[in-house]
Amino acid sequence: MTGGGKKSGAVFPVLAAALLGALALSAATGPVAISPRAAFDAIFRGTDDTPARVLLSLRLPRALLGALVGGALASSGVAFQALLRNPLADPYILGVSGGAAVGALTVALFLSADASPLLPLCAFGGAALSALVVFLLARRRSGVSPERLILMGVVVGAFLNAVIMLMVTLAPPGKIPGALYWLMGDLGQGTPHRVEVLFPYVALGMVLLYLLSRGLDLLLLGDHAAFQAGLSVERVKTATYLTASLLAGSVVAVSGLIGFVGLIVPHGARVLVGSGHRRLLPAAFLLGGAFLVLSDTLARAASPAGELPVGAVTALAGAPFFLYLLRRNGGRS
Amino acid sequence: MSCRVRIAVARRFLAGILPVLLLLASTPGSRAFAAERFPLALTDDRGVTVRLAAPPRRIVSLAPSLTEIVFLLGREGSLAGVTRFCNYPPAASSLPKIGGVSDPDVERIVALSPDLVLCTTDGNPRDKVRAVEEMGIPCFAVAPQDLDAVFTSIERLGVLLGAADRGRTEAGALRRRARLARPSSPDAEKPAVLFVVSTSPIIAAGKGTFMDELVRLAGGRNAAAGFSGRYPRLSVEELVAARPDVIFVAGMAGVERFPPEVTRWKEVPAFRDGAVITLDGDLVTRPGPRLVTALERVSAALAGWRRSRTKSPAAGAGGKR
Repeated sequence: MTGGGKKSGAVFPVLAAALLGALALSAATGPVAISPRAAFDAIFRGTDDTPARVLLSLRLPRALLGALVGGALASSGVAFQALLRNPLADPYILGVSGGAAVGALTVALFLSADASPLLPLCAFGGAALSALVVFLLARRRSGVSPERLILMGVVVGAFLNAVIMLMVTLAPPGKIPGALYWLMGDLGQGTPHRVEVLFPYVALGMVLLYLLSRGLDLLLLGDHAAFQAGLSVERVKTATYLTASLLAGSVVAVSGLIGFVGLIVPHGARVLVGSGHRRLLPAAFLLGGAFLVLSDTLARAASPAGELPVGAVTALAGAPFFLYLLRRNGGRS
Repeated sequence: MSCRVRIAVARRFLAGILPVLLLLASTPGSRAFAAERFPLALTDDRGVTVRLAAPPRRIVSLAPSLTEIVFLLGREGSLAGVTRFCNYPPAASSLPKIGGVSDPDVERIVALSPDLVLCTTDGNPRDKVRAVEEMGIPCFAVAPQDLDAVFTSIERLGVLLGAADRGRTEAGALRRRARLARPSSPDAEKPAVLFVVSTSPIIAAGKGTFMDELVRLAGGRNAAAGFSGRYPRLSVEELVAARPDVIFVAGMAGVERFPPEVTRWKEVPAFRDGAVITLDGDLVTRPGPRLVTALERVSAALAGWRRSRTKSPAAGAGGKR
């Protein structure tokens, strides 16, 4: 996991431009025709016709939600990979996804009717709870070891998966179609309100992770070496774990389980800017955001049968690109 | 001990005499007819030929639509088992359950020792049906793809269950009702109709579904016909772009109302005029006799829409003639 930031400073402007380009493309794509002029008027003059409202209350929120979700997943993946010293770690590895899913299905099953505003809340609750349980189980007096974390995460995740299967099987027909689609990952819930709700969580999580970036650099050297270098290892680990889980949990609550982004985008970002976390975290955020917004645009534009869940498109669209990126770089990780 | 034996004897006596009683009660004079037809060989929708020496006396139904048809034919006395989704007529709910439509329990089916299993190729897994057949129990598969085929299937099941006359009269009555439900003039205005089976996410009934056929028979255009796939999932924007005049929601015991962030799109005529109608999901998804009831309701709703148009000529766009 070496290979310092040998790339020039031009990477960040390019990544930022990619994200903005993706947002623009996403806002320009859809069944309702919106001319560039109408878009300009909607944004700067506050017109109130159908195209303007479609743009402002459907497309832009969805695109921004995609950027937030993709960015948060990628950054959370970076943090987990450092914390667990494992290149295969992703935001869902420690039972966050299972917890969120059980929370969401519980809403669908027991609160029925129009529980959609409650669904994110309970999904977040489930994610937070399972992350906490895994953490407490993995804790020893000697501290938290990555191996124990992964082990406990896998066990708790398996248990939660069994609960999910039971819920889906025993549910009366028609009770949980919404929840099932939600499990596949979906940005269709993008409303201005959701974006406003999610933004503070993501902003807070990103700031905290950024403040932890030196600690994450040291964690990669191993607990012992990090301790020698004067790092309060356990505190950094706890803080990282909670922050990354918060990021993943809040995102899952809004958009369901979107795979691939949190696992692969960090590696792509490492290829571009090296593994120093001060640069890696923002790069991963921009790359993840741009990637997810593009995937979602593709999911909406390319599908003849209405909408595809974006979770089904991320890996399809992303795998070839990231394979190329990783191969080109000699694939050291 | 002796008590149990007595009950068992009484049960057997009842089980033996009940079909006879029912036959006598339901269709006077049809006994000779039924006897005439058997033994019979009938080919089902898979191309499998089912042979019966006598009218079946213990039937297991693997789909709610088939259960409804058995009741319609007056042969519910022979129903030994149904799925957990069989809730109509209400009496069906109290019959022994053999699992679901997609997950019937082969062992439970066999334990009921049926002499005929009614199944469908749209929903029942082929390997489960084959497993039942390997136990030597004949399975008759029905898979109607449109309203006409539903009527035909009622007639054929009538023959199979020894209620041929009843099958013919019931199917005839349903055909008449379906004819009456269609709009009187062929050039009646065709509203754009969206039929959704879920409101969040929005999942519409596309081409190849019974709901699509109901809309067309009732003199409407399916607003989701442009999408491929039987159940396309629509974004709010696609719904706004489709501009349906009338929206039907197939209520499925779950969410049946559109969330307010969808209904505030007054560009959609159906939301503007409050033309959102909830129908019992069982009516429109089961290829059984109640599909005609669904057609009558859809037709009535579209006729109401046409009447409101003639009363107040709608301003702006929307005239599609």
